[in-house]
Formats: sequence, C-alpha cells, structure tokens
Amino acid sequence: MVFYENDKEKYDAISKDLFRLVQKDEEIHDVEFKTKPIGFFMDVWLRFVKNKASVVAAVIIMIIAFFAVFGPGMNEFRFDEQHTDRINMPPKVPFIAKMDIGIFDGGFTLENRKYDNLNDPSKYPEGSVLAIRNPRLVSGERIVDVEVDYYKYMGMEDDECFWFGSDYLGRDIWTRMWRGARISLIIAIVSVCCNVVIGVVYGSISGYYGGKVDMVMMRITEIINAFPRIVIVTLFIMVAGTGMFSIIMSLVIKDWVNTARMVRSQFYRFKGREYVLAARTLGVRDMALIFRHILPNSIGPIITSSMIAIPSAIFAESFLAYIGLGLQAPEPSIGVMLSQGQKVLLHYPSQVVFPAIVISLLMISFNLFGNGLRDAFDPTLRGAE
Amino acid sequence: MFRYILNRIVAMFLTLFIIVSIAFMVVRLMPGSVYEMGGDLSQTVIDALNAKYHFDEPIIKQYGYFLENIFLHWDWGTSAKMRPNVPVFDILRDRIPITLQINLISLFAALPVGMAAGILAAIKKNSIVDHLVSLMVVLFISIPSFVFAAGLQYFLGFKSGAFPIIYNVSAKGFLRWQSMFMPILALSFDPVARVARYLRAELAETMNSEFMLLAKTKGLTYAQSTIRHGLRNSMVPLMNIIIPMFANVLGGSLVVESIFSVPGMGGLMVDSINASDHMLTVAILMFYSMISLITVLIVDISYGIVDPRVRMGGKK
Repeated sequence: MVFYENDKEKYDAISKDLFRLVQKDEEIHDVEFKTKPIGFFMDVWLRFVKNKASVVAAVIIMIIAFFAVFGPGMNEFRFDEQHTDRINMPPKVPFIAKMDIGIFDGGFTLENRKYDNLNDPSKYPEGSVLAIRNPRLVSGERIVDVEVDYYKYMGMEDDECFWFGSDYLGRDIWTRMWRGARISLIIAIVSVCCNVVIGVVYGSISGYYGGKVDMVMMRITEIINAFPRIVIVTLFIMVAGTGMFSIIMSLVIKDWVNTARMVRSQFYRFKGREYVLAARTLGVRDMALIFRHILPNSIGPIITSSMIAIPSAIFAESFLAYIGLGLQAPEPSIGVMLSQGQKVLLHYPSQVVFPAIVISLLMISFNLFGNGLRDAFDPTLRGAE
Repeated sequence: MFRYILNRIVAMFLTLFIIVSIAFMVVRLMPGSVYEMGGDLSQTVIDALNAKYHFDEPIIKQYGYFLENIFLHWDWGTSAKMRPNVPVFDILRDRIPITLQINLISLFAALPVGMAAGILAAIKKNSIVDHLVSLMVVLFISIPSFVFAAGLQYFLGFKSGAFPIIYNVSAKGFLRWQSMFMPILALSFDPVARVARYLRAELAETMNSEFMLLAKTKGLTYAQSTIRHGLRNSMVPLMNIIIPMFANVLGGSLVVESIFSVPGMGGLMVDSINASDHMLTVAILMFYSMISLITVLIVDISYGIVDPRVRMGGKK
C-alpha cells in the first residue's frame, strides 16, 4: 500500500475544495488550564511544607538563629565580662521566679546546715529560704538541707540576675551561650559553603571531562579520603593554631571530597542526555554547558547534602573544643561551654544543660530539615537513607 | 583474590607511611623545643637530652632516625612530658586494650538492639511502632555522644547512684564492669540508631520484592517468609555498614573516655596534645589512622568476597 508517491504535479492538480478541516464543527473538549504553571522551586516548596516535622525543624532553626544574632545583646552583660564575686550563680529569671514553679528561681540547695541558724538574718537574709528538706539529727544538732534563693542569699539586688546563671569566672551564660551558638553556626555554615564551592567546581570538571582527567582527580580524592578525619583535623589545628579560621579550614580540608563525588556522579548521569548533545551541536561552550545546562540538575542533591553536613560540622567543632583544640579562651562556642561545664557538672548542672539543649536542638533540627529537603527535592528517595 | 588483597594491603601501608611522615613533620616543625619549656632543667641537662634524642640535628636526619627506630627496633620514641623516659609504645600498650574493649562492647551490644528495632519498624511499617523507632533514630543520631555521656553521668551516676561516676581503674570483676557500663551505654546510642535505620530501609524494600510474594504463594507463613527470605537478604549488606561504624565510635569515644576518666586512648590523646608531648601525639594519631585504614581494608576485602565484580576489576 502506497501512501505517498513522489509525484508533485499529481498532487497539485487536486482541487483545493476537496480539502476540509477535521474538527471545524466539532466541539473541542480540551479545557484551558485554570491553574498557573509552577516552577521547580515552587514544587519543592509545596512538597516541603507537607512534611510537618521538617517545617517545625526549620522554625526551630530560625528561632535559634534569631537568638544567636540578637541574644547576646538582650541583657547588660558582655560575653567576656567577669564578676569574680558572682561565680557559679544558678539561673534566675525574675518573672518566672514570681510564678513559683521551681525553675529559674535562683534556687540552690545548701546541704548540711544547722536548723537553728535559719532565722538568723545575717546568715540567711530576709526571704532567701525557699524550702527546707530532709531534717535530721546529727549528734544532737538539728541538720537540714536548705534550698535558698542564691541571689538573696548572696545579698544581691533584686534586679540583678543571670538568666541562665554564671560560670566559674562569673560570666553570664545566656550571653555566652548565644554568642557561642552564633560562632558554632558561623563555623558550620562557612565551612559547608567552602565545601560546596570547592566540591562543585572540582566535581563538575572531573565529571564533565571524564577520561584521564577524571581518573587523576578521583585518585586525588581517594588519597584524601584515606586519611582519617580525626587525624587530619588534629594535625591541621596543631599547625595552624586554634582559631575560627583554622577550625573552618580543618573541616573543609577533607569534607569537600564528598560534595565533589556527588556532583561528579550527577554529571555522569546527565552529560549523555539528548539536550546536552543538542546544546553542544548548537556550539555552546564547555563552561556554559557545565554551569548552565548540567549543573542546575544537581542543585537538589547539593542543597540537601550541605544541609546534612551542617550538623556534622557543628559536632566536629564541639568535639575539637572537648579535646582542647577549640577556640581561644574568652571566645565562647557551644563546645567550649560544654567542656567547661563538664568540669563542674555534678555541682552546677545548669552550666551543661543549656548548651547541651541548644546543641541537641540544632543537631536534631538540621537533620530533620535536611531529610525534609531531600524528600522535597527528590520524592523517589523518600524513606531511603 | 590474593592479588587484590595484597594490592590493598600495600596501598594501606603506603597511606600509613604518608600519614606518619606528615604527622612527624607537622609535630616537629612546631615552634619551640621539647625540653625548653620545662623551666627547672639546667642548660647542660637540656643539651644532653637534646643530644640523646637527636633534637639538635637537622629535621631530615631526625626523620631518618625516627623511621630507622620504627622499622628496626619498633621503637616509637620516648614520651617527654606525660611520663618522662617511658617508651611511647609501652604507654600505648597499657591504654589500647581498655579503649578497644569499651568500643567493641558498645558496638556489639548495639547490634542486637538496633537490629530488633529496625526489624520491628520494617514489619510494622507506618504504625505507631515505626514512628517511635523513627523518632528514636533521629534523636540518637542527632544528639552528640558527649551530651548523652553528661546526662548519664549526672542522672544515673550522681542522682541515683546506680553506677560509679567515673571509671574505676583498680576494681576487679563485677565492680569493674559496673563502672564500664556508662561509657559503653553512651557510645552505643549512635550505632543502635544507625543499624536500626539501615535495617528498616533495607528490610522494608526486601519485603516488597517479588520473591517474598512467591514465598507466600508457596504457602509459607508470614513469619517463615520474613525470617527465611526477607531477613536473610537484608543481612548481607549490614556487615558493610557495621565495620566503618567502628571508626566512628572510636572518634566519639575520644570525648566520652575523657568525661568518664577512662584511662584509654581518648584521654591520652587529649592530654598529650594539651601537654604538647609530641612523640606520643604522633603515635596516637598513628593508632587512629591504623584502625580506620584497617576497617576500610576489611570492608574492601569483604566486598571483594561478596561481589566478584569488584575483585575482577582489580585484576584487569
């Protein structure tokens, strides 16, 4: 059966009247779209907000970030201001103390006190005793444990109080903690940004050119990967000295490899696609192909993996503080505060509790947020790790 | 297969050599001589000590002595500050067993718990149990081990008094295990969560596969098909995440050991860095590198055994 003969004159001879439009009288059932088309990021956003846990996590991150920026300026103390007569004060917030619920009231338990002295205003100033516990008789003397409002016990003014207590040098923990959170966040975010920049450039070149270039570049990353992270970080800090910059660099020096590998595998996935071939046929240059045509495909995995890298950077920073390679003395970070509080944990647990809560919240939130982003960018990965 | 393993081992020793060289150079090129900071030593004594340990010679020569001592006499140098005049290797030999003990026990104690949680979550997918396990996984993975350690020390050790606050070096038998309990517990949260998360994902995927359907069609009960076909297939890759986890646990144990005053490698590393006892630091870094390289090696070799394609790739 022949549909078409290569005979132009025969077809030209056909009268135009014989042609008619197929659908001229029939009603077209297609409806015009009422909704507006949405872009890639809108799509991601819509999927992200469905995930309640990660939205909550994002809000918590924002709250912590808010306090990290404005928290240190909220009271009259500076982070390195020492009050040597006000050391290891318990936390007290005036309006919570008035509610009388047992927290933030400056309460501190003094053990083994003589009962008879309780009414002596020179030892226990007016209104300083909050509760009396565990009365007992020791060799004829009535002994009790007294919970006092430590601020009144020390004879301090009513309006002077450390919201989260003070540390072993009488420095305000509220101010130091939020400043520490700020520094920890800066270290984490800057190091992750450096990772992404180096990793993307390195991975793109390696993945796009392939062949020998790729082989050499991947061997280099393998060598770097063979060094254990603890060892690299420790050595680097020993060389460069403790400080924010060297901590950031010590985190960058190995962690960019992961980003580079991920970007490279994305390039391997996309560089053979038809649209890339089409662009190349049209004469698009390598740089434009890499950064305008192929790289945008990996924006999802890049954002996701950098979000997941942030908690591990925060962890690494506090880890360094614990092993004595943290920031220099007056400058606080969450890790520095934790390791200092650890020394007095059994007597003044509040010095550990607040930084521990902040770092745990940060880690949990960033993990949940990262998971939410991953699901939003690539729903097929849902539930996989 | 033999060649593949040999290749990997040679590569491992090369890496170790590079690490030890870098560590040596870094530590030696740091400003300040080892014996100058002492203060109470006279100049003659310092000169004598420097001559004895070759600190007065050029760095390349020192490096030569260092390598010669290691290769010929297995001598890692002598501690200068922490325990003066004690060979570094002897200090390590005292410290390594306790660290390995704590880390291995916490890893192996974490395995059954994590596996049980993961299996439970996968079987009861999308139920309340599953959500609880997911919550546990997020909490255990996110919260750093030193926060757990501090919490355990305060509540279990100090408030309730059930366990000693710090590790008891001199105790024997039950008391010793009792004082080891809290560091082990603090370290095992993370592996529990990782095993549970991995096994849940793996098993949930296996349960959906077609051979499970076939197994049920053949007439196997739910339990039979799950245990014989589902579990067995998801166990294979588990080995490959457990071994690298050891290096991870070891890192956390650095801090946890110093919190509980365990006389292990962690505390030693912290102390040697703070006291700038350089030879000791080099040896400790070497120990950590060795452990992490050996874990990588084991993983590579076990991949080669499980998956023949990997080892063929090495041959050609």
